[in-house]
Parts: sequence; structure tokens; C-alpha cells
Amino acid sequence: MKWEKLGRIFNPVEHILPNQCVEFAQSPQTLVFDDFVRIYFSTRQVDPKNGKFLSHIAFVDMDKSFKNILNISGNTVIELGKLGTFDEHGIFPINVLRDKDKILAYTCGWSRRVSVSVETSVGLAISDDNGLTFKKTGDGPILTSSPNEPFLVGDAFVRVYENTYHMWYIFGTRWVDTADEGAARVYKIGHAVSPDGINWQKEEGKQIVSDSLNADECQALPTVIFSKNRYHMFFCYREATGFRKNRQRGYRIGYAYSDDLVNWTRDDEHTGIAFSEDGWDSDMMCYPHVFSCDGKIYLLYNGNEFGRYGFGIAVLKD
Amino acid sequence: MFIWKKRGRVFNPQEIKNVSWLNEFAQAPSVLVFDTFVRVYFSCRPLPDQNGQYVSYSAFVDLNRSNLFEIIRVSKEPILALGERGTFDEFGTYPTSVIRKNKEEVLAYYGGWTRCESVPFNVAIGLAISKNNGETFEKLGSGPVLSYSINEPFILSGPKIRKFNDTYYLFYIAGNKWIENDGKPEPVYKIRMTHSKDGINWTKADKDLISARIEENEAQASPDVFFHNNRYHMFFCYRYALGFRGKEKGYRIGYAVSDDLLNWTRDDSKAGIDVSEEGWDSEMISYPHVFELDGRIYMFYLGNQVGRYGFGLAELEGTL
Repeated sequence: MKWEKLGRIFNPVEHILPNQCVEFAQSPQTLVFDDFVRIYFSTRQVDPKNGKFLSHIAFVDMDKSFKNILNISGNTVIELGKLGTFDEHGIFPINVLRDKDKILAYTCGWSRRVSVSVETSVGLAISDDNGLTFKKTGDGPILTSSPNEPFLVGDAFVRVYENTYHMWYIFGTRWVDTADEGAARVYKIGHAVSPDGINWQKEEGKQIVSDSLNADECQALPTVIFSKNRYHMFFCYREATGFRKNRQRGYRIGYAYSDDLVNWTRDDEHTGIAFSEDGWDSDMMCYPHVFSCDGKIYLLYNGNEFGRYGFGIAVLKD
Repeated sequence: MFIWKKRGRVFNPQEIKNVSWLNEFAQAPSVLVFDTFVRVYFSCRPLPDQNGQYVSYSAFVDLNRSNLFEIIRVSKEPILALGERGTFDEFGTYPTSVIRKNKEEVLAYYGGWTRCESVPFNVAIGLAISKNNGETFEKLGSGPVLSYSINEPFILSGPKIRKFNDTYYLFYIAGNKWIENDGKPEPVYKIRMTHSKDGINWTKADKDLISARIEENEAQASPDVFFHNNRYHMFFCYRYALGFRGKEKGYRIGYAVSDDLLNWTRDDSKAGIDVSEEGWDSEMISYPHVFELDGRIYMFYLGNQVGRYGFGLAELEGTL
């Protein structure tokens, strides 16, 4: 596989964003229209109460050359949750897809904890205005912790294949106590299926993509595309600690493939995209999103500092 | 109206000395009947930490079957360890409800407590299994067996496990609102139900079973269901949403009846038990647990400060 980088296409600090958000445009994910592509991302507001971040969803509409910005969301796309709910402190990321006459959004909701920094679960919201705004199906999540997936269920990516909804997502396996970084989380990619997109059956604690670094490898944001009779998954992975500053330990993009949606073969050597020599994606690459548009396959992704300064795009050449 | 004759307090945890994890509270009694004794599970607490915060454990006391006021033994250790860092039951295992699965196994469903930043806590329901007659339990996993869903966003707690017609029924409470309350949020929760063939995979009824009576934000707890005379009887407790730590707005015991487990008719005037004029249960009564033993029907219940001073026994006069 060979990806041609087209460069960074959106830098949040160059624009005015809703919800008093200033930096970060994380986990770009698309909804393709006839004449433009809507790219949702998570951006951040500083919580006036305590200086911590709140992640909000925004979007940018771009033409199909991905060179021109047509519109940026001016209003709230989806509200954060009420007091005590799973998505009270942020929604990051959001996965959007068309489903019959509706547009579904699978969200990853964040709420803060005391002994660890955060807990997450997956929510479902629905749009009836072409994705300008989304209404939640309820105050609670549709996918959350279970006996063998004890915490940090999130990063859902949903596609329908042969009348079955498939969700790839991540679940936490443990919090590692560290001397200088507090409690560090470890998470893996899992899989669930559903007849209706609402009621899900997990594989329950089954890690579907093998580790390449070590047992504490963190795997995030699976994205799947079917092409040439094979299912292709991109995701990002890193070491459990020291990943914020050290490019050797930070996020990069991995790859796995499957012929049956059950067994996945990890094959990072064929990811076909790596850090640049210098510039915005020279130290980190994360939160990939693969999609097709007018016969071409594209990969959106974040660069350095988890997308603080935006996202770029690459096109598949081969 | 039913008539419950109070027989007095059975167990006062404050009389147990030199057990750090059992300093006070004996909450949410749940029985397992043996040939010669009755094992009563309850939840208790050590002293609070320097921030005034509690953890809670579950344990048991064995009572003489022919004299429930005679304590034979208190468990030497809690039946469950607190969860590892970041898990749902890191800060408490309360309350616990037990049932025999078969000759070899006893199942315990329990509320696991974690601490949150914007609200003080959250709860989800765990499952643990005993293979030694309920002496000790192993958790099914480090995560919960019943957790949050679209219409049950937080606080799944107060499990009561029952088996009717080869199906497991779990009655529990689910939170639906946190009231801001001047920076000290208080939750509102209602009684709900789910059923299962195997006790692990559950199908939620996804509805409130018991209509609110004293106010919309009435909090309901301890949905204790007992089948007798071809009807399902539920004793539970309820209180006001705020200001409930005193007598006036604190817990009382309510009653509802059903023929199908799903549709319930509430009639608190039938409950037949209320606070006493004085003594350990003079301000509030809560967490009823009804059971049949040797032809008699009994209720264990908590008194003042939701079981800080233990639980007592009442006996039904007449029938349900």
C-alpha cells in the first residue's frame, strides 16, 4: 500500500470555532455529500470552572479537492451531557454514518473520575438536518463497561456489512500505576455486532488485533474499509507511558486486514504511511479515518501533539 | 393492611470490637438459609478516611435458625475485595443480594462504587460466585454485569436477585437525575427490573416499575420481591430527594403488588410497618428484606441513619 500525503488541510488556530474552542481538531471523520465533504472533529474549550478541557464536536465543509474550506460549524453540533452523565466533560471522537433515511453518530463520551483521570462510554445520537446538529437517543450510553471490559469503552467506528451492524471500538484492560505520570491506561481494539445499531453483542473482552510493541501497547481509533474483497483496518498505537514527548513512544498508524471480519492479521509493514521528516506530522500520527470519495480512497489523520494544530489527508496511490 | 410485629434489633455492628472494616453500619440484609442457621449478608464500613469519605464492604452474620436473635458467627473477612484502580467497585461493594444457583454455587449481585469529579459517586452492578456455600466469592470479571444504558444513565444499584419459573429476575434502582443542590448534588433513582436465563446476560424492562407518590423526585430503593399466595409482593423504601437525613423526609417502607412482575400497583397504606416511637428505628426504616422460614414470614429492615446501628426483625401476623 502506498499513500501520497496531500498535507495539512485544517489548522484550528486559524479559524473561529463554536463553544469558545481554540485549539485541537482531533479525530477527523467524514460525511460525504454530492458536492462537498463534511469533516467532523473534536476541539477543546477550557472549562471556566477549573481550567480543564472540555471536548466539543465541530465540523468543516470542504470541497472535494480538500483545498478549499466552504463552511465551518457556527453553532453547537451536539450538546455535552447533563450533570453526572457519561459525556458530561467531552465528546471525542464522533463517528457519523448514513443509515437509511437517518444520519447516526456514535460518540465517545468523557466524564472525569477521582482515582483515575477519566471514564468513557459510547453514545448514539441522530441527525435529521443533514448532520448540522445531532440529538442524543438518551442520557446514557449504548455501549459501556462489562465483566471483561471493565472501563474506557470508546472510539466506536460503525459500518453495515451484509445487513449486520459492526462496531469496532476500544476497551480498557488496566490502569498502570507509574512513578511520574500518575495512572496510565492500556486499551485494546474490540468488536461488537448488532441487528439494529442500538442493541449490541460484544465479543466481550476479546482483543481482535494483536500487539506489536508489548502487552501494554495502547491501540486506538479503529477505522475499517472494504476494498478488493478484503476488510482493511487502520488504527493508531503507542506505548503506555512516555508517549506525549518521545516520538519513539508516541502514536503512529498501524494496519490489519481480514477476509471474514472475525480473524484479523496485523501487518504494520504495509500501513504505507509514516512520519514526515519535519513539519506538522513529524513526531506523531494518530486518529486515522479511512473513507472513499468519488472512486478514491483517502486517509485523514492527526499529527503532532494529538491534533492540537489540526489534521491532514493522504490519498491511496496503489 | 398487613401487620408486622416488631421483634427487635438482631445485629448491631457497633457491638463488634476490633474489626477495622466492620466499624459501623450493617446495611441491606439478605438471607441464605441453611439447615441449622440463617446466613445474613450485610454491608458495613470502616472509619471514614481523612476527607470523611467511606468505603463499604459486604460480610455476613450467621444466626441460629431456631432463634434468630442468637448470633453464631460473624465472617472473619469481607466476602469481596474492593476493585483495582479505575474499576467500577474500587470504593465499595454495597449492597449485596445472594441466591443459590445450584448445589455447588451461590451467586452474589452487588453494587460497585466509584468516585466521580462532578458528582460524588457512581454505581454499577457486579456479579461474584461462591463455591463454598457463600463463605467467599470470586468476581465474574473486573467489570460490571449490569451497567448503564440509554435510559439508565447512572447509579445502577440496590440489586435484589430472584428466580421465578426458571428465569432470573434482578430488581434494582437506576438514577435518572442529579439535583444540583448548592454544589452537593443528590441523585434521584427509581425501581427497575431486568431478566435473564443465565444470570449473566440481561434484558432490561427499561421502565420505572413503581410510580412516585410523595413527590416527583422521590428516591426509591430496596425493591424486595416475595411470591406468596399467587401474587408478587414488593416491599421497598422511599424518601424525599433532599433533606432526607432526618426523620421527617427520611426513608419509609412502601408496598406494591403485581401478578406479572412488570405491572405493579402501589399501595403504601398496606405496608404495615413504620418508625417506632423511640429507639433504634424511631427516625427512619428502610431496606426491607422479606423471607419465609419454617412456616413464618419475616422482614429484616434497617433503622435510623440507614443501618448505621444495624438491622432488626419483624414477623408477619396473618398473611400476605
